[in-house]
Amino acid sequence: MSKLGLKALSGSQCFYRCRVEKNNQNGTKMIRMIVCFKESDMSGLSLPNSMRNTIAGWLRLSSIFLGFAVVLTQPAYARSSQTDNATLELGRRIYMEGLSASGKPLQGQHPNSTNVEGADAACVKCHRRSGMGGLEGNIAAPPITGKFLFADKENRPVALLDNRSPKDVTRAHTPYNADKFAEAIREGRTIAGKKLNPLMPRYRLNQAEIKALIAYLTQLSSELPPGVENNKIRFAAIISADADPADRDVLVKMMTEAVKQRNASQLISAGRMRMPIDLIPRTPREWELSFWQLTGSPETWNKQLSDYYRNGPVFAVISGLSNSTWEPVGAFCEREKLPCLLPSLASPPADPGFYSVYFSRGVALEAGVVAKYLLEYEKKTPTRIVQIYRDEENGRIAAQALSRVLKNSTIKTEHRVLSGSEPEALSAALKELQPEDSVMLWLNPADLAMLGKAVPKPPEVSFYVSGFLAKDHFDSLSPAWRNGIRIVYPYELGEKRQKNLAQLKSWLKTWHIPLTGEALQSEIFFNLLLLTDLTSQMLDNLYRDYLLERTEDMLSAGTTSSAYPHLSLASGQRFASKGAYIARFNQNGVLSADSDWIIP
Amino acid sequence: MTIVRNKINDFGCHNMHQFIEILALFILAAVLSNTASATVPAAGRADRTSFAPAYSRAVKDYDIPDSEILRHDNKKLKLAEALNDGRPLLINFVFASCSGICPMLSHTFRQVQTELDKEKQSFHLVSFSIDPENDTPEVLRDYAKKFKAGANWDFYTGNLATINAIQHAFNVFRGDKMNHSSVILIRSAPDKAWLRLEGFAGPDDVEREFYERLKSDKLLKN
Repeated sequence: MSKLGLKALSGSQCFYRCRVEKNNQNGTKMIRMIVCFKESDMSGLSLPNSMRNTIAGWLRLSSIFLGFAVVLTQPAYARSSQTDNATLELGRRIYMEGLSASGKPLQGQHPNSTNVEGADAACVKCHRRSGMGGLEGNIAAPPITGKFLFADKENRPVALLDNRSPKDVTRAHTPYNADKFAEAIREGRTIAGKKLNPLMPRYRLNQAEIKALIAYLTQLSSELPPGVENNKIRFAAIISADADPADRDVLVKMMTEAVKQRNASQLISAGRMRMPIDLIPRTPREWELSFWQLTGSPETWNKQLSDYYRNGPVFAVISGLSNSTWEPVGAFCEREKLPCLLPSLASPPADPGFYSVYFSRGVALEAGVVAKYLLEYEKKTPTRIVQIYRDEENGRIAAQALSRVLKNSTIKTEHRVLSGSEPEALSAALKELQPEDSVMLWLNPADLAMLGKAVPKPPEVSFYVSGFLAKDHFDSLSPAWRNGIRIVYPYELGEKRQKNLAQLKSWLKTWHIPLTGEALQSEIFFNLLLLTDLTSQMLDNLYRDYLLERTEDMLSAGTTSSAYPHLSLASGQRFASKGAYIARFNQNGVLSADSDWIIP
Repeated sequence: MTIVRNKINDFGCHNMHQFIEILALFILAAVLSNTASATVPAAGRADRTSFAPAYSRAVKDYDIPDSEILRHDNKKLKLAEALNDGRPLLINFVFASCSGICPMLSHTFRQVQTELDKEKQSFHLVSFSIDPENDTPEVLRDYAKKFKAGANWDFYTGNLATINAIQHAFNVFRGDKMNHSSVILIRSAPDKAWLRLEGFAGPDDVEREFYERLKSDKLLKN
């Protein structure tokens, strides 16, 4: 076997290195080519990362077919002089708010005479924040960023128009210039002279507005964000100071294993073409996952998160754990415009912002469900609900939420706060109950386990227990209490649940990870599947706003591979599961629904 | 050219592999687009990038399921009760977070409402939410307000299974709310057949089809 090596530069500064190993028929000869460009040579052009990648992709092909005659030219749209801020701001107002240069609402005419104006006529409505477009019914609103509209063929990226159909990718077209772009906007005619989809309104924009819109589109989703590198995407999971160490171990183990598995499956030798979508070329990137462990009080978390981020910026945060607040994390994600997807929490921030997505509203959702149940489902509405909780964030938030929902109802609320870890605190809280009372127990598993000791025989009133705070663990309840309570249950029950969790269970078995908590583990597993699909469908368009939009769209179908009945989002929605059952243990000791799925 | 089989290197580079992928993709695309075009009816054909404004029309019979639904004013009704009050009926399927097609469908209903009100014509517009878990009566009231819905325009939600059953009954269930189709159903009276408009019927189209339906069902004198 002989080897022929061609090496221009070597070492850690290599921007791209590539080796083709070629076997002839007798399999004895191998030719190895290494193309190497110094990082500094590329950065001298001050190209955005994404463009470098595009060029790198082009180089890969040209290095074979054209030898090594490589001329780097900047695309025309990127050469234009610096756009002034006022122009860009006008472009933003047109795109995001639907406001014209005069400040009046933008008017959009549909060809069949339904007109839209202002915010309804803004580009962002269909083409989304990222400019990467989306799917409306069967109609694709295509990507309209500068890279897709104005770049020449060699520099134009590829995007998937419809994730259900890998053949629906963006197609080649002659680059738009300002005149042709104006024609499309004003008259609804594409560069190829075809009519635009009737869903796209026509706008009477003047020259200055056209120029501003072009400027806005040119910079929109043009540079890959921090955390996306040439051969790597970085993610983090955030674990708060008070997270249960056992939960943390489960999360770390599952995520580490999945990332290892995912990276191995990306190897060409492992066969990357597993699904039709894999036919679409994209830059191979490894996943790198960090765990950001927070310590100390929540006031210090912002600083810790900023430090983690500065030392190793990530493309997105996936999963997380907290037993109390998540506010500082949510605020951090919003500030850094960092997607923070689906942490496992009992009380997510009430205002989720744009960049965070949650499984549900947590205990606030349960408060809404229990209120609706008491008012609309119970044969006899109680006159008072006594809320028992620890003086901790989750309990406080939950009790306040229920009091708020019941404020204008006939049901009075009373708060009884536990202090100390002795059963006496619980027995004191359970005294002086009237037959017309109901009791809401916002308690964690340790306190639930103590109920039997504190009060062996439950008083003759209706008891409700929070499913989120109980963490789906009811085994520690004494039999009398187990049979006497109703549970606000935010997860699926019965056969359907088993069906939903089958994939998780077989995955855990394959990787020798014990099943310790279906609710938590199914959330983590769901996230791993989601992330795989998301990054696969985004191809090389790894922009943060696009990641959120893809998340919204992916979950539109109401996915069911978790402990929840279904998780569903749409544009602007940030809480995926929207209801809960009222459940109780039946005669056979099986938890079963006592109500339909209640949405407050 | 001999078949090139490349292996992974330190930077995960795979030139020929990608080239073959591109080729395969184009071939696949060509094959798939041929088969797809053969199954799409010409009248309702929705080309992804450009198409002539068109909608298809068909006369259909649908069995209305015995479901309980929830109106935007929180009133619970049987589906038949909601639909069969004798007024000529127009139905569409929307959801509040939908930003492209639904506003257009709702704008169309709004303009139809204005015209029919002007003409003192009896009518009943019904919009079913296909995102019932998000679109609570409260959300629907806001949505109705946004589109200036009057007394003859009702919005309905319900539990997910019910709403899915209703979509199945009218053959508009596509498994996914982002995947929903632009359909308007018109019926002149409870005992008459449905006219199904699929595609982009504007307000003028809908109004014209509505009156023609009344006429052909002999419910309109002129």
